[in-house]
Amino acid sequence: MTNTTYQKFVKRWEEVTELPPQTLGPLTPYYKMLVRHLKVMPWPVFVLSSLLLVLALYFLIGSAITFIVSLLQKGF
Amino acid sequence: MDIAGSLLVGGVSFGRNLVGIITRPYETYRRIVDRGNVWELIPIGLILAFYFSLSSLVKTAAFRPFLLTKQFILLSGGAASGFLLTVAILWGAAWLIGKKARVALAWAYTLIPTVFWFLTTSILSIILPPPRTQSAAGVSFSMLFLIFSVTLLWWKVTLAYLTLRFGLKLDLGRIFAVFAVCVPVWGLWSYFMYKWGIFKVPFL
Repeated sequence: MTNTTYQKFVKRWEEVTELPPQTLGPLTPYYKMLVRHLKVMPWPVFVLSSLLLVLALYFLIGSAITFIVSLLQKGF
Repeated sequence: MDIAGSLLVGGVSFGRNLVGIITRPYETYRRIVDRGNVWELIPIGLILAFYFSLSSLVKTAAFRPFLLTKQFILLSGGAASGFLLTVAILWGAAWLIGKKARVALAWAYTLIPTVFWFLTTSILSIILPPPRTQSAAGVSFSMLFLIFSVTLLWWKVTLAYLTLRFGLKLDLGRIFAVFAVCVPVWGLWSYFMYKWGIFKVPFL
């Protein structure tokens, strides 16, 4: 039993250490903070950032966003 | 293992990975790249074929088998060319940097958000045909549709990033470099797809 757990641990360890950690110089802490939220159930981050982006677009171009949506709806 | 067994294993792995790319994309992409099975391409292909059939029905005004088949072949061929082009670029990039590429299956999984967006847009265009008006209802629907679209785009971008991160084992700088090569090629491909009337929004 312990041996199996150990083997699983070694396998997981090899998977994780196969790739060197991603670093972005001074931005590394921010990158890590973002990625932490994307690894498991990333949907809250996706929806929240989309909401903010669309609100910004609405404040920028107003009701002309209906034109973009009409184009996208015809584009499938 | 016989063909039926391989298909079953591929189908089960696909179902597991589909849930995984929704809930745990990083962990799932490691698994797809390390232990992915080529048979998983079959369910992905079937989902795409289902969408192209539906889209052919929506796009073709006349219910004629010849026109429907022609439309289906055009859509399938267009999507297949985009997929093969992207995988070829990624293989080329891997060859240039001297790494082993395992990207075909991983990139195929990035087509799930794409087909989901196209499928939803097709159904919405039947229920609520464009153009959208500038009334309160029109603006509200537009905002919801854009939030939905951008959310799926983030999902797609994340899966594309993970394809390069785990499939080619690249760091962020090199991932941007590979995408910088991909973007002009995708742009040219999208232009021809638009010009030939196959896809107005690129199916990538």
